[in-house]
Amino acid sequence: MKFFILAYKNLRRRKFRSFLTIGGVAVAVAVLVCLLGFNAGYQEALTSDIDKMGYQVLVTAKGCPYEAATRVLSGEAGLKFIDEDIYKQIISDPDIDKITPLLTQVVYDPEKSDGKGGFDSYSGIERSYMELKPNVQLKSGEWFSSDDANEVILGYDQAESIQKKLQKTVGDKISIPGEDTNLVIVGIFEKTASLEDGDFFLPLKTAQRIFEIEGKLTSIGIKLKQIDRLSAFEERLYPIASIQVISMSQVKGTILNLVSSAKILIMSVAFIAIFVAIIGVINTILMSVFERTQEIGIMKAIGASKLDIFKLIWIETLIICTLGGFFGSIVAILGGNFTELLVRKVMPYAPGGKLLLITPELLLFSFLGVIIIGIISGLYPAFRAASMRPIEVIRSGE
Amino acid sequence: MKDFAIRAHKLKKIYSSEFEKIVALKEIDVEIKKGEFVTIMGPSGAGKTTFLNLVGCLDKPTSGRLDLLGYNPIELNEGKLSRIRVDKIGFVFEEFFLISSLNALENVQLPLIFARNYKNNNRPSTLLKRVGLDHRLTHFPNELSGGELQRVAVARALVNNPEILLADEPTGNLDTKNARGLFDLFRELNKEEGLTIVVATHNNRLGHSTDRIIHLKDGKIEQDERLVK
Repeated sequence: MKFFILAYKNLRRRKFRSFLTIGGVAVAVAVLVCLLGFNAGYQEALTSDIDKMGYQVLVTAKGCPYEAATRVLSGEAGLKFIDEDIYKQIISDPDIDKITPLLTQVVYDPEKSDGKGGFDSYSGIERSYMELKPNVQLKSGEWFSSDDANEVILGYDQAESIQKKLQKTVGDKISIPGEDTNLVIVGIFEKTASLEDGDFFLPLKTAQRIFEIEGKLTSIGIKLKQIDRLSAFEERLYPIASIQVISMSQVKGTILNLVSSAKILIMSVAFIAIFVAIIGVINTILMSVFERTQEIGIMKAIGASKLDIFKLIWIETLIICTLGGFFGSIVAILGGNFTELLVRKVMPYAPGGKLLLITPELLLFSFLGVIIIGIISGLYPAFRAASMRPIEVIRSGE
Repeated sequence: MKDFAIRAHKLKKIYSSEFEKIVALKEIDVEIKKGEFVTIMGPSGAGKTTFLNLVGCLDKPTSGRLDLLGYNPIELNEGKLSRIRVDKIGFVFEEFFLISSLNALENVQLPLIFARNYKNNNRPSTLLKRVGLDHRLTHFPNELSGGELQRVAVARALVNNPEILLADEPTGNLDTKNARGLFDLFRELNKEEGLTIVVATHNNRLGHSTDRIIHLKDGKIEQDERLVK
């Protein structure tokens, strides 16, 4: 029998209390792991989302650039329209490698989400769209037969949901809610793991006709030959009063900035959880020390040194924190999907892909953190116990 | 010199609180030889427990000299004192003071941990067998009778091979038969292993089964009675 077993037996004596304390530590660790995991995951998911867009630069109508950018990122319409002439005007710019016009419209579908209703996003695109987005490939079917055909290509997820709900696939006809025109499904895109998987894609001219906004675009996606030419390019576009140029790296930075202020708030919540857990651990151990005053006195009388008692109580604290860290990590891993769901609901813009990135390094970091916390929070109770005098217990016998 | 286990000279102990000073021991002189089986007798408050606590290194005297197996506990720090307690002295208490979360065997093993004696030795079970509890090894304190509890406590006191066994009213919570049995066990240990034993008790008859009775009253030695066998 060693100190460890002795400490373990002590904790087993008050199973429920030990269990609750371990639970408190576990919650704190789980919260911490989830938040740090979210921090890493969000950044990665956002970067991958933006890389998948294929554009380095987006030209939109003047307005709040960030609102416009997040709207375009999440497949919603731009705030205002820009004239197609502008597209024709800048297409010949020497710095441009690839360029594509976009018209995105959002349509309310009362049947969506099992009758609860929701928005669908319809994008008018041209062939150049495919060139800008190397990861967009046709899974089945083919490209539109002409540039104003009443045809539609479905994003991967949208195709699956239509297949399930309406049993319709390539070759079948669907209609846009509130519009008369029927569209023939001509193709389905491969999964891109971005929000565009849920979109409908129409030929640009068809979209302009159906939504009655001919000659207008919501944005222009551009890939430059060299990204360091960006500022020169921006300068040349500056005289066009009605548009603005947004570089995606700028957007990424801004979104991460927005997220980071939310992160500080969430982090403080996590630290409060950890603080409460520490207090809980100290309280539990201190209480068990006071309850065992006599026992500690006896141990000292039969030869336990100050250091022995200190070690014993300290090991108890460490066991609580280690178990708490262990269970907290498991909860974080298992509950990660739930957290992700929650975060998606709360965040103004959530990228596709996985938001929560729980790496072994992160788990190790949190685990070591909780052990250090255990070491610190065990100090005071252990010190209190160690400085108890055996004589006070023994004398009560006389 | 080496024949003495305990030598006290003008040993004095005063307990002082905010309101009063209690002189528990008034400059007593005692010499106890190695291998002696001694009883300390006297009414409550006579200083029996105080004497045992001083000898057992649980407390320090207010003044006087104390020689314990060649050590001077007055000059030693707490770490050294706990070392003497674990290596040289075994303690038995009236209330048994077993750890309730540990079974009989584990209670006896406990001082081995404090002595850093992690070797897988079978001394604890041998001792429990010796005190007649080999069928109770895995029983917890609440499953044992008073007599059994005290025998576990004796086994615990002996596990680190001490030179002195101190017992403070060890029969206070035992019936006559168990009390007699405990003193028989003490006598056996004293005879066979040469263990020095100092017992504080009220029980006159049990006291008379030992080698010597030191009568304490009001912190002073009233009579030092050597019994002829």
